[in-house]
Amino acid sequence: MTAAGVDQARPGAAPVPPARPGAAGLRLLGLFLVSRRVPTALGVLVGLGALLWAELHWHWNVAGGPAAQRVIPLVIEAGAAAVIAVASYGPFGEPERATGRWLPWLRLASALILTGAAVGALAAGATGGYLPGGTLALVRDVAGMAGLGLLCAVALGGAFGWTGPLAYWLITESALAAGWTTPWIWPGRPPRDTGAAICAGLVFAAGLAAFTLRGARASVR
Amino acid sequence: MTAAATTAPAQPRTPRAASAVPVTAARLLWVELRHNAVPFILPLIAALLWFDSYRPSMTQPPVWALRTFWNMGQGHTIIDFGPFVAGVAAWMGSREGRRGITDLITAAARPRWITQLATWAATAIWAVGAYLVFVGVMFGAYIAQGMLGPAPWWWVAVGAVAVAAFSAAGFAVGALYPSRFAAPLAAIGSVLVLMMSSQTGFRDTSGWALILPTNSNGNYQAPSGIFYPYLPDLPIARMMLLAGITLAAVGLLGLPSRAGSRGLRRTAAVVTLAGVAMAGTAIGLTTTARLGPGGIVIPALHDAANDHQIPATPVCGHTAGIPVCLNPVYRPYLAEVSAALHPVLAELAGLPGAPARVVQVAGPYNSTEGAFDAPMAISGHPPVLRVPLDTVLLPGTSGFTSAPVPFADFAGQLQALAVHAFVGAGAGPGTLAQQAVQAALLQGAGLPFAAQPKVLSIIGVAPPPPGAPAAGAGHEAGKVSKPVYAAAQRLAARPAAARRAWLTAHLAALRSGQLTLAQLP
Repeated sequence: MTAAGVDQARPGAAPVPPARPGAAGLRLLGLFLVSRRVPTALGVLVGLGALLWAELHWHWNVAGGPAAQRVIPLVIEAGAAAVIAVASYGPFGEPERATGRWLPWLRLASALILTGAAVGALAAGATGGYLPGGTLALVRDVAGMAGLGLLCAVALGGAFGWTGPLAYWLITESALAAGWTTPWIWPGRPPRDTGAAICAGLVFAAGLAAFTLRGARASVR
Repeated sequence: MTAAATTAPAQPRTPRAASAVPVTAARLLWVELRHNAVPFILPLIAALLWFDSYRPSMTQPPVWALRTFWNMGQGHTIIDFGPFVAGVAAWMGSREGRRGITDLITAAARPRWITQLATWAATAIWAVGAYLVFVGVMFGAYIAQGMLGPAPWWWVAVGAVAVAAFSAAGFAVGALYPSRFAAPLAAIGSVLVLMMSSQTGFRDTSGWALILPTNSNGNYQAPSGIFYPYLPDLPIARMMLLAGITLAAVGLLGLPSRAGSRGLRRTAAVVTLAGVAMAGTAIGLTTTARLGPGGIVIPALHDAANDHQIPATPVCGHTAGIPVCLNPVYRPYLAEVSAALHPVLAELAGLPGAPARVVQVAGPYNSTEGAFDAPMAISGHPPVLRVPLDTVLLPGTSGFTSAPVPFADFAGQLQALAVHAFVGAGAGPGTLAQQAVQAALLQGAGLPFAAQPKVLSIIGVAPPPPGAPAAGAGHEAGKVSKPVYAAAQRLAARPAAARRAWLTAHLAALRSGQLTLAQLP
């Protein structure tokens, strides 16, 4: 028995219509997003948005100065960035890398979709009350921390990408308490601060580029 | 093979088989230790511990209770470790579920709960071991810098048990929600719990909230480990709570039907209930806590042997012909204390009730995180000036101020407190006459009138502003400043001999509060 002729239609069978390129691409994207558990990630992001809404609505604040008052919103933003980073984890490893021609574009699309969804969910949550810095600062902070998460996913593996945003949150809290004003601690700067926006943007761009080109590192554990 | 073979009565386990059980368990644990994910994030935790716990502590004076106030008293080592350990433990706990091999594990030779316990134990061993090593290195660095006195080992033990509790809670989250998102959710949830703990700790100074491991109110203050032993009452209660949480979380894993046999699940239920009971008992005990002379006392856990002061041979120097003796831990500050008190002691020398000796005493514990308002006192025959040095801002760097404390500020505090005690003003601002004499004496000691309000404010004996309600009997509040300083200027302007003669004659009346401002010369 040989494979000759297997690509020919069975005699008498109805011809299969060729798949439209757009529909195939959308199906590929959909399958990729499902393999990264993006639907679950979207649900978690909506939950974090609801948590932010509740925090602002019922004034769950930590006592202290401006740094202390930003603790809980920053934790929630770090949580959203952590979810984006963890969604980069792929279960297929080498076979996917060897055969997936569109893989970089799919990674880019998934990261952008999740970052946009995170900003949208948290911005909706911010309607619950007064968010220090407003939506502009929220976009900057989430984007910067998402970039860190993606960088961590590339360096440590998607499963441990969440450590980046969490570590950055811890450093930020300590730095804000000590009165640091470096733009690399962007949550501590005003929402329209150019330096902070550039730093956060650079980190997001670096994370996005590294993740697009290399993908998350295969988990070592 | 027939069915008869499978229904044959079980043979008693041979001695060799019985001895193989611990060997197999040890082998299982060893396999889990080698494949655990915690070592993977230890470099990150080490860097964060350096940044968040060690680096800020170096702004504190070289006294254990002050230098470790941030990282042990307020639990920042737990904040640096706990969320990351919880996240990785959740990743380990969700392993079988994520890989879809739960059924396979359930049908394996070992009950599922036992294999889960091995995975959790390996995670906890790595995490707690790393915590102890990292804190040991940090304390080693402190000791190399010349720290004296005992280290706060009870709080290190609390931190280790807290790390175990975070690992158990995170593992349970991962096992019950086997998803890639279990790790970040466990980590972020841990952060939120710790932030709520800190918030409650800052606000509540008594009751159940004292059990929170980030709460330093009334139990981690400057006299700890120097004048009084670190009281283990609260750390023991905290370890009970955290161990209870650990047991409850671990026991919870053994409750589902596929966790093991009925007997094993019964054991898991007992472990869970024991954990809940232990945590509840710890909270109940903490509600009975009261503030004792050496910190927070929990009567059921208290050992009266811990109430005594730590014996120490003081280190002494001389200033203005008077011995100045400090606790040996404060030896680095002896020269500065002597220099700071010299002008005041010289000004007071020869007057009735002037100190013949200066000794350092323990500052009082209070229900908050410590306040800089403990007064000095002069008592005994011959009179001794008792200085609670741990309640003033020491010269040099300090985590409580944005810039290093200059010697002039430190000296001003000591001088003002000493004169305040000399005029008999007690814990408040004193009568108007006492305030005026105090101002004149401080001016004579070199602290100008203009600088005095700031110093009095720092040490907590500043007169209330005009118009404020009266502070109590004997305090003529609301009429201060101008008349007081006018009288003080008149007294300070008199010749030294005349001023001393007037003071000698009127000090007794001044200290008893009978002298009025109009009676000053």
